[in-house]
Amino acid sequence: EPVLSKGNNCLDAAKACNLNDTCKRFRSAYITPCTTSISNEICNKRKCHKALRLFFDKVPPRHSYGMLFCSCRDVACTERRRQTIVPACSYEDKEKPNCLNLQATCKKNYVCRSRLADFFTNCRPESRSVSGCLKENYAHCLLAYSGLIGTVMTPNYIDSNSLSVAPWCDCSNSGNDIDECLKFLNFFQDNTCLKNAIQAFGNGTDVNVW
Amino acid sequence: KGRRNQRGKNRGCVLTEIHLNVTDLDLGYETKEELIFRYCSGSCDAAETTYDKILKNLTRKKKLVTDKVRQACCRPTAFDDDLSFLDDNLVYHILKKHSAKRCGCV
Repeated sequence: EPVLSKGNNCLDAAKACNLNDTCKRFRSAYITPCTTSISNEICNKRKCHKALRLFFDKVPPRHSYGMLFCSCRDVACTERRRQTIVPACSYEDKEKPNCLNLQATCKKNYVCRSRLADFFTNCRPESRSVSGCLKENYAHCLLAYSGLIGTVMTPNYIDSNSLSVAPWCDCSNSGNDIDECLKFLNFFQDNTCLKNAIQAFGNGTDVNVW
Repeated sequence: KGRRNQRGKNRGCVLTEIHLNVTDLDLGYETKEELIFRYCSGSCDAAETTYDKILKNLTRKKKLVTDKVRQACCRPTAFDDDLSFLDDNLVYHILKKHSAKRCGCV
């Protein structure tokens, strides 16, 4: 029995993408480098990241977010959603670095540094606000989140059962910085503002913005 | 390049599109994804060049040793962008030169 059998929102988004010339073109433009293996390596990660950044820069959110933030009821759907960024190339790596080390690497790169700052600004949770966000703007949070895709801080869904996301890192070997590391990682993994923003897009409930 | 001025001449050779499932292509992929397939069809009867005219005349007079010379065909002169899709086993595939972008009598 194939993993993907019934129809779902993520499949519908993929169909819609291939029926749109712009989305189809930029989708193939990243699938190609992200799935082409080169001498011992699974892919050219640098080219894959670059093409992913271009995809999110050029394709209208209704298509790019449609595939990345589609709402799901079953594993067939969540697995397809997880595959959107071709994680085998763009996300996973042989080793999982410490998140604070990864953050330091990110800060050395202009694009990564500014996009990470945007993410921390625009997806900051605030339990007292109705939206769950300090900035109360889901669109800005989703833009900041998707902006990280194609940087060393590329995030993805970590399992099939939730909207929990994380970059490819963990907090082992943090030493005295364990609290700081967990705070960083949890901003991704356990972020009410981001989860609400993804959910609102997936359900089409944030009518003010789209 | 002057295509709009060719009124009446090879007007039949045009780009046509059809909305299909990837599985309709019978290329062996298992997926639920879909595509727009564009193809070239129509007649190229009106001889386009002096070359075509000469061929026609020579064929009529039976002056050619081989009968394998062909009139112009309505074929793609450029192909559409690549198409990618995820199959039912979570493997990505890319189709190249699978769909027409422009047509001509060649």
